[in-house]
Amino acid sequence: MIVSLICALVAVFATLRIVFEKSTERKLVYLNLLNFAITGVIVFVVGTMVDPWLAIAAAAAYFVGATLESNAIASTLAQKEGRQ
Amino acid sequence: MTTYLMILMALVAVLGAGIALLSKNAFNKLIGVAVIASGTIPFIAIAGYLDVAVAVALLLPLTTIMILKITVGDDV
Repeated sequence: MIVSLICALVAVFATLRIVFEKSTERKLVYLNLLNFAITGVIVFVVGTMVDPWLAIAAAAAYFVGATLESNAIASTLAQKEGRQ
Repeated sequence: MTTYLMILMALVAVLGAGIALLSKNAFNKLIGVAVIASGTIPFIAIAGYLDVAVAVALLLPLTTIMILKITVGDDV
């Protein structure tokens, strides 16, 4: 259970870095760190309560979705900045 | 022990709401929306509704992509 608290502290650290960062590209780097930390929270908390394979499936689905989201933002940002 | 975890996740979600509220750039607002989603999905998973968590985790990026196409990526 202490492992999930460490993952949650990493998530709060990543969120604070997103808040206080000026550049959008560096915000995207710490958004990826936040996605890793939240995946750790899901798989370590839920894996001790219910079936671990179901928790792994939920964490994998979250990770796929979050990576798709941040990559969509990053690729649109790259296309807009490369065009100008 | 789960209470501390919920407090930290709520802190993540509230900070994401602050990012989405106070940013001027459209990309920073979208990053704030992504942080809000990242803060709220562990609440669904901790409550035990893992199928709902899978559905929400796969549907929220689609809403972000739609917002992206409407607001900033109209001709990209």
